[in-house]
Parts: sequence; structure tokens; C-alpha cells
Amino acid sequence: MHEPDSAELEALLARCATGDRAALETLYARVAPMLLAVLMRMLKRRDAAEDALQDVFVSVWQRARQFDPIRGRPLAWLVSMARYRAIDLQRAARPAVALSEVSTSAADLPWEAANEANDMLGTGALLLRCLEQIAAPQRHCLLLAYQEGLSHSEIARAVNEPLGTVKSWVRRSLLALRRCLES
Amino acid sequence: MNYEQPELLDRLAAEYALGTLRGPARRRFERLCVQSSAARRTLHRWEDDWVHLSRGLAPVQPSAGVWTNVRRQLFGDVAAPPRRSRWRTWQLAAAAGLVAVALVVGLFVRQLVPPPLQTLAILGTDSAHPVWRLERRLPLAALRIEVVGAVPPAAGRSYELWALPRGQAPVSLGLLPAAGRAERTLSEPQRAALLAADKLAVSVEPAGGSPTGSPTGPIVIVTNVLAAG
Repeated sequence: MHEPDSAELEALLARCATGDRAALETLYARVAPMLLAVLMRMLKRRDAAEDALQDVFVSVWQRARQFDPIRGRPLAWLVSMARYRAIDLQRAARPAVALSEVSTSAADLPWEAANEANDMLGTGALLLRCLEQIAAPQRHCLLLAYQEGLSHSEIARAVNEPLGTVKSWVRRSLLALRRCLES
Repeated sequence: MNYEQPELLDRLAAEYALGTLRGPARRRFERLCVQSSAARRTLHRWEDDWVHLSRGLAPVQPSAGVWTNVRRQLFGDVAAPPRRSRWRTWQLAAAAGLVAVALVVGLFVRQLVPPPLQTLAILGTDSAHPVWRLERRLPLAALRIEVVGAVPPAAGRSYELWALPRGQAPVSLGLLPAAGRAERTLSEPQRAALLAADKLAVSVEPAGGSPTGSPTGPIVIVTNVLAAG
């Protein structure tokens, strides 16, 4: 995927903060397709995902002034905004995802694609290396949560493990991940 | 729970960013992020780490209507009728009913259709956590407040909204709802203060609001007013 350049995104957000509508349009052209992919993965329905995308860009415009360049990583800010919007919408609209809609096999998840994209970019390699050190079933739970937006209990159903097991897998995997990321 | 423990903070931030922190716990962490820069920093670190996983997805081109709707909602400069999905049909049901009545009864009824809403501000922390959306009805007679990311106040406390008119003391615009949405009519002094304000603030006050008419508790949010005039 064409990766939007951080400096460009920051400049566009700074222009949005001054009320420059053309900057919002450019920003939309740069990141909306990526954010829509993220949202569709989580919400499963194109109409729901496009509604969420609309909400996200309204928020981006309204909160561009609050983007702190010191925070950096404008893409993380944007993707997080989209993911959190999807999670909040899921609570209302998707009380339980049908299993048929969820990629339950690790091979279906865009893990390889993320690997390739990050190889090309030379960024994010550390996260992927650290994820690789986590045992496959546990890593699969993390990916179901992050990419599919599944809750603990939805993951438990998808991988056919007890809820308590999934919760402790996730907790322990996150601890291991943080330790690895800091090493 | 002692949120100052770095390990606990890291676990909460990790599960928040991952998406597995749900329900009241999710809202509690959002409230913590409003108040704690350590919580925000911890969350940002996880967000920055995880974002690499979003890169592998094949981009999906949005329908043209999405951008049109964004522009209409923000700038009101697009005349075409909104393309709304079934997803939000229920939200339009009331408005559609009003249009039908207007067609039958004519102009008198059409004047009862509320004037359009214009977003005034989004209140929240400096990250991806909007808490309240404020909208005004032109010509600024009413303020509509929608809770978009509930951060319930601590027991016995309320969030109070203030207009900060340039060079003048803050003027209370009332308490912010903890959930749902509220629409309130503005008094003339409130209206004047809001028109002169370039910023809004939220303070934590005793339940029921500031006893003095000025902010007494910590100011947790200051934000710019978006809509001019």
C-alpha cells in the first residue's frame, strides 16, 4: 500500500487546524482508503464502515488543532481514531459477530501483507519481530482483537477456547510484547 | 485501583489500544486519559506500536458520497441530498416525517422544522478520545450536546461547560450530560458570551455545578470554538 508520509500528514493536519478546507480534502485522498480498509475489517459492512469514516473525518477537522506534533505519528493518531470509533459503533450495532464473518484461521489475516509492507518500509519491523516471538495461538488472539476488532468473548468463541484462557493469553502476550519492544 | 502503577497503566493502555478493554472499563480509561498525561503517553506508545499492523490491508476506495457528506456536515456547502445508509435510517425517520407533513400542510409547518445544526466544538483529550460534541442551532438560540465517548464524572462531581469570552470572566453554559444527548435553550447572557468566546472549557465541579458561578474545580479541557460568528 502507498504509505502516506508522516511529514506530509503532519503538514496537512496543521493546515486543517487553520481552517484550510483543501488540506482536509488532500488528507482524505491520502488516508481515507486505508482507514476504510481498517473500518471494513472491523465493522464487516461497507455502509457501516463508510458512516464511521465520515464521523472520523468530521472529527479530524474538528480536532486537528489538538493534534500535537510532539506526539508525532499522525498515521497512528488517525488509525486509532478510526479503530476506536469502530469499537464504539460495534457495541451498539454488532452485539455479536457471526463466526462466518470472522477470519478464524491465522492464514486469513493480513499478517503476511503487514510483514511485506513493513519490510519495504523498514519500519514496524520491531513490532513484527516481537509478535513473531509469541506462540501462534496467542498471537492469533491479538490479531483477532486488533484487526477484526473482536472482544475477549468473541475471540473465545472464534478460537474455541474458554474465556478465561483467552483473557490470560492476551494479558500475558501484551506483557511479553512490551518487554520485547523495550529490549 | 491505583492507576499510578506503571504496570497497571501499561496493561490498561495496551488493552485499550488493542480494543479488548470494553464497557465501563473502557470508559474509565478514557476518563483517566482526560486527567493523566502519563496515561496518554502510555496509550500513545501502544498506538504507535500497533499501527504497523494496519499497513497490510488493501486500501478500499470510499464511495463518492462519503466525502460529500463530510463536507455537508462540516461546511454545509453541498446542496445534494445526503446519501444515508440504512445504518442511520432511524436517525432520519423523524426528519422524513416532518418533510412529509410540510408537503401536506405547507409553509407554516415547514417553518417548524428545526434550523440546521452546526458543530461548535468537540470536547475531549488531545488524542483520539472525543467525549462531547457540541452543536448549535442557528441563529444560536439553542445548544445541543451529545455524549460521544462517555467519561462519567467521579461520584459527587459534575462536568460544567464554560464559554471563555475574550477578556471577560468565564460564563457557565450549564452542566454536561454524562450520557445521551441534551438540547438546551441559551439565555441572552449565555448567548452573548458564546458569541464572544473563542474558547470553551470544562471544569470538574461539585455535583449540580459550581456553587460560585465561576469554575472552582480543575479545568480538564480547553478547546477552540470551531464555528465562527
